[in-house]
Amino acid sequence: MPQATGKLLLNIENLEVVYHNVSTAIQGITLQVYQNQIVGLLGTNGAGKTTILGAISGFLGVDDAKITEGFIDFQGEKIHNRPPHEITLKGIVLVPEWGKIFEHLTVQENLDVCVSSGERHLKRKDLYSRVFDYFPPLQMAKKRLAGYLSGGERQMLSLSTALLCGPRLLLVDELSLGLAPIVVGELMNLLKVIRDEQQITVLLVEQNALAALEIADYGYVIENGRIVFAGSPDRLRNHQDIQEFYLGQGARESRKSYRDVKQYRRTRRWYG
Amino acid sequence: MAFASGYFKTSYKSDLSLVETGTHWVFLSILIIGLVVFPFISSVFLLDLANQVFLAFIGAMALMLLTGYAGQISLGHAGFIAAGAFTTAILFKEMKAPIWITFPASGIVGAILGIIFGLPSLRLRGLYLALSTLAMHFLVTYFGSEYETKRGFSTGVVISPPAFGPFKIEDPRVWYFLLLSIDIMALLFLINLARSRTGRAWSAVRNREVVAEALGIKVSFYKLSAFITSSVMTSIAGCLFAYYRGFVSVEAFSLFMTIQYIAMIIIGGLGTILGTIFGTIFVVLLPYSIDMIGKMLHVPARLTTYMFAIQYASFGLIMIIFLVLEPGGLVSVWNRIKNYFIFWPYRYKPLER
Amino acid sequence: MQLLINTTVLASLYCLICIGYVFIYRATRVLNLAHGELMAVGGYFIFTVALSLFSKPIPSFFLACIFSMVLGFAIYFFLMRFMAGESVFAAVLATIALGILLRGLITLIWTSQLWHPLQYLGMENASHRLTREAVISTFGIVKVLGAALLYLSLFFCLKFTRWGLRMRAVGENPLLASRRGIKLHKYYAFSWGIAALSGGFAGMIQACDSGLEPGMFVIGLKAFPVVLVGGLDSFGGVIPGAFIVALAEILAINYISPQASESAPFIVLLAMLLIRPWGILGTKEELERV
Repeated sequence: MPQATGKLLLNIENLEVVYHNVSTAIQGITLQVYQNQIVGLLGTNGAGKTTILGAISGFLGVDDAKITEGFIDFQGEKIHNRPPHEITLKGIVLVPEWGKIFEHLTVQENLDVCVSSGERHLKRKDLYSRVFDYFPPLQMAKKRLAGYLSGGERQMLSLSTALLCGPRLLLVDELSLGLAPIVVGELMNLLKVIRDEQQITVLLVEQNALAALEIADYGYVIENGRIVFAGSPDRLRNHQDIQEFYLGQGARESRKSYRDVKQYRRTRRWYG
Repeated sequence: MAFASGYFKTSYKSDLSLVETGTHWVFLSILIIGLVVFPFISSVFLLDLANQVFLAFIGAMALMLLTGYAGQISLGHAGFIAAGAFTTAILFKEMKAPIWITFPASGIVGAILGIIFGLPSLRLRGLYLALSTLAMHFLVTYFGSEYETKRGFSTGVVISPPAFGPFKIEDPRVWYFLLLSIDIMALLFLINLARSRTGRAWSAVRNREVVAEALGIKVSFYKLSAFITSSVMTSIAGCLFAYYRGFVSVEAFSLFMTIQYIAMIIIGGLGTILGTIFGTIFVVLLPYSIDMIGKMLHVPARLTTYMFAIQYASFGLIMIIFLVLEPGGLVSVWNRIKNYFIFWPYRYKPLER
Repeated sequence: MQLLINTTVLASLYCLICIGYVFIYRATRVLNLAHGELMAVGGYFIFTVALSLFSKPIPSFFLACIFSMVLGFAIYFFLMRFMAGESVFAAVLATIALGILLRGLITLIWTSQLWHPLQYLGMENASHRLTREAVISTFGIVKVLGAALLYLSLFFCLKFTRWGLRMRAVGENPLLASRRGIKLHKYYAFSWGIAALSGGFAGMIQACDSGLEPGMFVIGLKAFPVVLVGGLDSFGGVIPGAFIVALAEILAINYISPQASESAPFIVLLAMLLIRPWGILGTKEELERV
């Protein structure tokens, strides 16, 4: 059970998502996120992490996905099966894995789009200066077309536009994907700083378990659409299976191939 | 596709066979007997309807091949039918050519036209390809109308029924069996083509062109072959169309005809042969059903002049309903019913363990 | 000289029509093949309004434009909203089916007779002499001015207002826009409303210029090539595209035959697709999008 240090922000119970009416992607997902926590969701490709984030932030018709069981509760309100913009307005903002910025607009225009129209001009300047404080490279690239930014700058821009929407819960999908380790470290630290300064809760989906466990307060491990393990970062780091399959340490008899990882028989150690 | 009974294929022979189980054989025989007996027990009106369905089926299958299998969107289908019909008409009028010349000639014209229609597909995809085929459709109909006006057939060309020696094909029943046999041959051809190397190549091109090219499939060759096969089939259908109607005029080959064919494969279910069958029957019978409904509701005689507009509007409306509510077409309705019984009492396939 | 006038007038008409095509395409990536019918409906709206309500031009046009815009909203609300998540092909087919439905309804409601709304508006489509050999009709002038006005206001709105910026964002990445709090349906409905408005307006002017009958939607069909020649996602490209296609058409009428002029736009289209498929001012990436 996660440390109940703050208010329960997000409560997911027994969630099941089905794609195209026939293909179950996740099943029986139960997790909680408390205020001001950074919670990590770990797992390999195809485990269902992005689906969980998608279910929280809302699907569009083109995904052809449906929540068929369970519920998602945000601050006491059921938010599943709502369109994305409604969920954003409630305070849950997603930084997606791909399609994260408007490539044909400039950096400044990207930021303009996301600032809500109700903001007064003065407050808008405040928001912008805060964003440029966190991400100085963006200020230098203000007039550049977003499509020409580097990978790290794109992530920064995507984070900024998400922050400008005034989130209480930030969902981050694969922050480290395609980035150099040093950039990953910087971004992860920034995430922690933002959480501390802005009082934002973060649900972080990551394949890079090492980086994620550095900043997380609690972690869940997902495999084949189910949560198989949960615990504090220390507990996760010291678990033999996780060390072997997600942290790349301590091979048993021989180096296992990826195929073996996907198909190996669980020795029921998860439930210990 | 879900197999409920755990029936698995265990030999190459069973994998290649077209009819899989004993039950299938029984149903197939019942269908064949029904089809053979039908012309002898039905009225002339119903017979004509059946002939129209068979005739349309050839064109629908050709379009399904092009769009459903090979993934090349074409809005120029009526142009091919017009080409076949006009070739027949021109050869008949100018040279009194008999059917065993006009039939292959239509095919050859179709092939040439197919190459021309298909060339843009080497550079374009999707919407752009569809619009280039649309442009060509207008060109073909332009040439057809030019022929009509230049040769003075402003109301259309009349063609006499085809003859094999002294044997004239005039009786609807003879047409029925002729069209049915051509349909069956075309169907078998298509099914086998889909399972062959060509069919698999088309499938690959439809899904991910770039990957297909990387795998060594000559994408340009297969795109063009799809266009050519489709256009030859459609032009032959156009030739038969000309003979069946006995009359060729350019107004019949409008954009609406293309849309009717597209509706056949979409309403039926894109990419499946069963869908094409469902769709053809549905679209051909639709105007007649609306007529019947009108008669049943005792619509006043005054409104019958608007019948064509009503049919037109309802066609659009039904197409919209299908696109919005059931994009997979009649076949997906069929599959959903089947899957319900197969999965029962579960609703979905469970996660793999 | 008369050739130039005719070309300009025809090109302006095409510009007016094509704004609608590009608008919907940029917002929703759908090519609205029912736009010709929307144009025709606009013409019929002004006819009905002039016949039964006002006999003065300004209020009639105004009211008919409102009707057109509402029709655009209705089409989005009742049909295109459901196609928002489907493949582009299915959405385009839906517009084709919509066009067929509209055509049938037009014939049912207004019959296929030729009407002249100008009679009921108390106006005349007078001929004005520009130079010694060249004349232009009143509504020819309206076409040119109307197109110019519409273009300028559109350019201004899209480039400099927040609404325009959001419209561009929605067109580029609807999922992200939705995730950043932009109500997609609002912007889609708007684009349909404005497209129907501009198309209907074009239809009204054309009806006053040349009369009203159901075959009018063919003009919308001939306007395709304009959008493609200019570039499907480019407002600016419509202007050169319109001039090229209009020129081809006028030359064909004068030197070949009226029938050839119907096909002339498509020959230009074919040539363009083979040489430079993304159009004069379109972006190359659009090709891959489709």
